[in-house]
Formats: sequence, C-alpha cells, structure tokens
Amino acid sequence: MKKWSEVALGVVTSIGGFLEVGSIATAAQGGAEFGFQLAWVLLLGIASLAFLMEMTGRLAAVSGRTYVDLLRERFGVRFFLIPLVAVFTVSLLVLSAEIGGVSIALQMATGMAFRWWALPVTFIAWLLLWRGTFGVVEQGTAILGLVAISFAIAALKLHPQWTSLGAAFIPSLPSHDRARYWYLAVSILGASITPYLYLFYSSGAIEDKWTIEYLGVNRVTALLGNMFGGVLVISALVIAALVFAPRHIHVDRYEQLALLLTSPLGRAGFVLFLGTLCITCFGTTLEIALALAYLLAQGFGWSWSENLKPDKDARFSAAYSVLLLVAATPVLLGMDALALTNISMVLTAASLPVTVVPLLVLMNDGDTLRRHVNGWISNVALIVIAVLSVVLLFAALPFQIAGGG
Amino acid sequence: MRGLSLVHDVLDAQLVDRNEEKIGRVDGLLLEVRDGEPLRVATILIGGAVRAERIGPWMTWLRRTVRRMARQPDERVSRIPFSAVRRVADTVQLDVDGERLESGHLERWLAARIIGRVPGGSEERT
Repeated sequence: MKKWSEVALGVVTSIGGFLEVGSIATAAQGGAEFGFQLAWVLLLGIASLAFLMEMTGRLAAVSGRTYVDLLRERFGVRFFLIPLVAVFTVSLLVLSAEIGGVSIALQMATGMAFRWWALPVTFIAWLLLWRGTFGVVEQGTAILGLVAISFAIAALKLHPQWTSLGAAFIPSLPSHDRARYWYLAVSILGASITPYLYLFYSSGAIEDKWTIEYLGVNRVTALLGNMFGGVLVISALVIAALVFAPRHIHVDRYEQLALLLTSPLGRAGFVLFLGTLCITCFGTTLEIALALAYLLAQGFGWSWSENLKPDKDARFSAAYSVLLLVAATPVLLGMDALALTNISMVLTAASLPVTVVPLLVLMNDGDTLRRHVNGWISNVALIVIAVLSVVLLFAALPFQIAGGG
Repeated sequence: MRGLSLVHDVLDAQLVDRNEEKIGRVDGLLLEVRDGEPLRVATILIGGAVRAERIGPWMTWLRRTVRRMARQPDERVSRIPFSAVRRVADTVQLDVDGERLESGHLERWLAARIIGRVPGGSEERT
C-alpha cells in the first residue's frame, strides 16, 4: 500500500496550482469584486489541471519518460525551442512572484521589509534542493501544506449561501465592469493551469519510479490532489466574497489579503493565513525551481534527478541554483509583488497553447502509449483545454490593458 | 528487416553511454560521402552548435556572439561514429565513455570546479 503515499505528489502539484500566491491573490480579487460569480472559472481551472496532470502522469507511467523528453524527441529541436523559451520565461517570473509571496508573509509576520527576506528565503529553498531527496521535498511540502485547510474552515464558519455558490458554477456575465471581470477570469486561469505544474508532475512520476502499475494511483492522485487544492482556492474566493465584497474592499496590496482569515477566525486567522501563504509559496518555489531544471536537463539530455548527489548531475544542480538567485533579484530590488504576480499570471495563461497542443499529439501516439492512448473523454477535454488556451493567448494582452490595474 | 526512422527514432533521442549515464541528445546526424560508395549514416553529433544550426542562422549567430562575449569561442561538439550504437529504443545507447566526450565538458567542469566544491555537493542526500 506504499503506492498510495504517492498521493503526496498530487497534493504538492495542486498546491502549486491553487494555493500559491497567484491563485490566492487572484481568487481573492475575484471574490472581492464580483462575489461568487467567478467560481465557475475556478472550477474550469481545477478540471483542466486534473486532466492535464492525469495525462502527463499516464504518459510517464506507461512510457517511463517525461513530457519534456518526448516533446523534444517527437517534435525536434526547432519546435522544442518555442515551448522551452515560453515556459522558461514565464516560470522564472512566477518563481520571482513566489519568492515574493514568502517574503511578504514574513514581512507581515515580523515587520521587516520583504526585500530583506528575499535572500534568506532563497537560500533555504536552495539548501533543501541541494541536500534533500525528491521524497523529502514532496512529502514535506504536502504535509506542511495541510495548514491551508484553515481556508476551508474559515469559509464554513462564514456560512455561505450554498444555493448562490452552487449557481455561480454556471458561467454568467457580470452586470458591471466587464473588462475587469474577464481580466480576472484570465488571471485566475493563468494562476491555476501553469505549464510548470505538469512538467513537475511528470518528472515527479519518474523520480518516484512509477510504472504501468501506477495508472490507478495516477488517476486517484490527479483527482484527489486537485480536489484538495480546488476546494481550498474556492474557499479563498468565498471568504473574499463574504468579507471584502460587502465592504467594497478592492485587493490591491498583499497586506489586505491577511484580513481574509482574521474576520472569520480572529487573531489565529492572521497567523494561519501567514503560515499558509508562507508554506504554500515556499513549496511552490521548490516546485518551480525543480521544474525549470527538469525542463533544461530533459530538453538537452543532461543527467538529472533530485535523488543523485549534486555533482552527479552538475548542470541540473547548477540550473536550479542559478535560477533561484536570478528569480530572487526582482524581490531583492523591492519590486511590487502583487503587480509581479498579476503580470506573470496573465503571461502564463498566454503561454499555455505551446505545451497543451503538442500534448494532444503525444497522448494519441500509439507507439508511446500503446493501448493507454487517450479515450474520447480525455480527447474532448484536451481539445477544450487547447481551444481555451488559444483563446487565452489572444485574450491575455487586451484584457491586461483593458482590465488590469 | 526492420526499418529504423532516423528522424522519428534517432534524431533528438536521449543518448546514454555504456554505463547508462545520460550524455546529451542526438543533436545532428551526418552521412558519409565517398566516391563510388553508397551513402551511409556515419556520425552522431552532440553539441549546442549543431542544435543552433538546425534552428536557423540567427541562432548560430546569437550563440557565437554570446560565446565571444563570454570569451569561450571554442565549440565543443562530440562526433561519435554510428558504429558505436549498441541499441536504439527509448534511449540510444552508445558504446562510449561519457566522461571523455568533448560535449560533456561543461558538466565535468561544473562538477569539479563548482558543484563538487560546495559543501554537500558530493555527498548522498538525506
């Protein structure tokens, strides 16, 4: 039954999808400005990510190979350059936003300006990656991430109207500020469905030595992991809708987010919020730093594993070390963390097609997946996600201009 | 006889050496041209310069410029005879020692000069 402890991989991945700084911030902004109305966008993000995780996990379990590995081999270096540059750039930006998220949480806890936290936070993240095995990083983040359950408790304590929340899962148009509404919808999707998540997940499946016997585990992991993250991010939206919206509070500073849990949970809520922000952003920092190193190592055929001695995969280890430092720089320079978050979420949304569309080809490749190729449900889902991703690509910039800020 | 597609099965495939260590990818393939003899696949190429050529002249130019600025003008490309291929499957195994390949220069340099010298760099993880 040891197999089932693999659910940790799904939980970690979904923390990176739904509970890091980007998702908490965009869901709270959505709730504050439009009440429950944007809940359907979250549901769409949760379902999309669950499908993408299941597929890249299945790919890894059946073929013993990661998504990036197959992307380079099947599509050739010329095409590979496009997802490589797009995912690399966007993920590096998000990595900065996450380091910013941890630093902001520490600033709120201590009063010391967030820029001073950038280097200590980055150093601890690096040290964990340098010394810890994949299992330590994975299980540690999953267990500590449970603190985020405080969001669900807070949401329940506020007694939301279940019927109006349920109704919000059906898409609807806003009565005011349409541009802002769609801008937030794009940001929420960008914050939830991020390429580094499934790069990390499929590499994690290889690190954890998944085989074809793990197909069931993979399905349950993708589902449970996303339910965990999904319920909690919906809670964040619900809380913002019930605490911020009636008071007409617009979230334009991170400090305001801390009020999310103080209203329903009091002083303890403040501590729990900071703990959640700190841990989930830190976990996501580890996740993205690894995902970036996996991307480069697998794309260029370097030796890679978070379980080897660092000098046995020197380029891989050097990659996450240098990239962590690069990502810490904007935070160190005191860049506005919320602005950084919003920009990187919109760009992430725009970068989706280059990784989602090739997946459609790979998931139907009988040479690789044999009889485990996509069935019609997965294919319909993937086509919907692909179309959605192309819409996001073209919508991201106009909505950023019309509804951002 | 079973056909092997050079583009589908060999080009861009993960390369491993005789110890199953990952040593890069098949960045390029060369045909051997000799008078009076049929063409044959002769060489596997590994290296950034080969990749850059396949991407386009602009990438070759970009690479050269960056390398000049970094004062690293030498291109380190490995040329391995196709006869060293032992197996073509998910990975392509070569009967070579990865430690001696020119294209592994950066890996060895980083391991010896930087990564291995940082505390914990050559120790088992916990």
